[in-house]
Amino acid sequence: MKGACLLLVLVSASALAASFTDEEVRKIQSHGPWPAPWSRDPSNRVSGNANATDLGERLFFERRLSVNGDISCSRCHLPERNWSDGLPRAVGIAEVDRNAPSVVNVRYHHWFGWDGAHDSLWAQSINPILDARELGMSAASVARFIRGDRDLSCRYRNTFGAAPGADDEKVLVDAAKALAAFQETLVSGSTAFDDFRDALARGDGAAMARYPENAQRGLKLFVGKGACSVCHTGPAFTNGEFHDTGIPFFLRRGEADPGRYGGIKKVLSDRMNLLGPYNDDPKRSTAVRTQHVSLEHRNFGEFKVPSLRNLESSMPYMHNGSLASLRDVVKHYSEISPDRLHSDGEAILKPLHLSDGETADLIAFLQTLSDRGGQYQRRPFPEDCR
Amino acid sequence: MRALLAALLAAASAATACELPGGAVQKIQSGKVLVLYRTNPAPLKVGQHFVLEFAVCPAPESVRVDAQMPEHRHGMNYRPTITGSGEGPYKAEGLMLHMAGRWELVFEVRSKDAVERVTQTIRLE
Repeated sequence: MKGACLLLVLVSASALAASFTDEEVRKIQSHGPWPAPWSRDPSNRVSGNANATDLGERLFFERRLSVNGDISCSRCHLPERNWSDGLPRAVGIAEVDRNAPSVVNVRYHHWFGWDGAHDSLWAQSINPILDARELGMSAASVARFIRGDRDLSCRYRNTFGAAPGADDEKVLVDAAKALAAFQETLVSGSTAFDDFRDALARGDGAAMARYPENAQRGLKLFVGKGACSVCHTGPAFTNGEFHDTGIPFFLRRGEADPGRYGGIKKVLSDRMNLLGPYNDDPKRSTAVRTQHVSLEHRNFGEFKVPSLRNLESSMPYMHNGSLASLRDVVKHYSEISPDRLHSDGEAILKPLHLSDGETADLIAFLQTLSDRGGQYQRRPFPEDCR
Repeated sequence: MRALLAALLAAASAATACELPGGAVQKIQSGKVLVLYRTNPAPLKVGQHFVLEFAVCPAPESVRVDAQMPEHRHGMNYRPTITGSGEGPYKAEGLMLHMAGRWELVFEVRSKDAVERVTQTIRLE
């Protein structure tokens, strides 16, 4: 194995602007291949089901799924904006306190929302439907809407094997499971970085040389001096966990966003969590995180590590959308003051003191994590459900 | 001299009696305490939950398992549940190392008169 890694470095050396150590090569390899293997969600009995995906896609763009009949999920998750909205804080019926996270690649996540207040994609999908500032519906109004719409009711029956019944909460959860089945299909495409990573794996010098030199130098910073890959791990560039990165978490005078601290409390008290009655997996095989998650004081002000795939089109950044550009994000980590972090928090973040050239290189690398677009084409919806 | 020989024989006897059925066992000795363990899956990966099977000799009153990143000044985000008693075998479920870097796996072994921290370094990329 050691020999193989050494070989990779030797083969690649002539094609690279930056030279990579064995350890750096292993780290680069750990960010692929992409797309990562996909598997259905065992907690959702209609995950991977074509009828559910179809129903979920319709519901996702359905404005009547809001209390004022004017807002759909796609208000804050626009396909052309990497399934986010470009705003610092999302606006449904009213403005919420956090940035709308992209729903691309959500099948690879374990915790959902900036605070991880939900442990499945279907449970997360319920949240905006019921939140008074987002879609403002209730279980009763969702169930009434689906039961009363001939087409949606028919598609519900085709998906779940029976017409929507009298149990409002069950219809709401099923609608969320269909929404999850659709969102699971949103996977970003391969990128210039993936081409480089794969070329490095097979020792293809010519293909490696096509990767821009400044991106190569930025990649070396990412896995080396910058230590970015400590948290932005794996093919999705996130460890899926939560950290305090020194972003202020005060919302308004006298009010703070508790972040992960509040998220853990919410998920553990949520009837819709993976330990509850709506998990379709009798083995509870994906509930291990929920069973063992530990609430610590340090969780206050921690927020989820976002995926970096398609980063360029999901600005602004951070949980509150407070950083407008990639340059602002890199500057934040370059100049971060340890004094802004919790005294009982992690001691990993230190100012990187990047030069102008290093900043430009790191941005150039981050830009190569975006796909070429065109992955999603909204289909016309025929109205002939039988 | 005779006392030393007796102590050595006793320690050797404890060590030979200590066992964890199954293969691929790691050993850690700290003072008088011997811990045998293995992880499933192995090797460990960042962000992947794992099960720890272990035995402790001599039999403790209680044992706790934790993992920490000393340089980062934090532990795991998950609290394992442990089943087993005596010398074991024990089973700890729900552990997960969520970042790359140096972790310290800690067995806190409590006996009648002392608490021994038995540690093992694990490096994750």
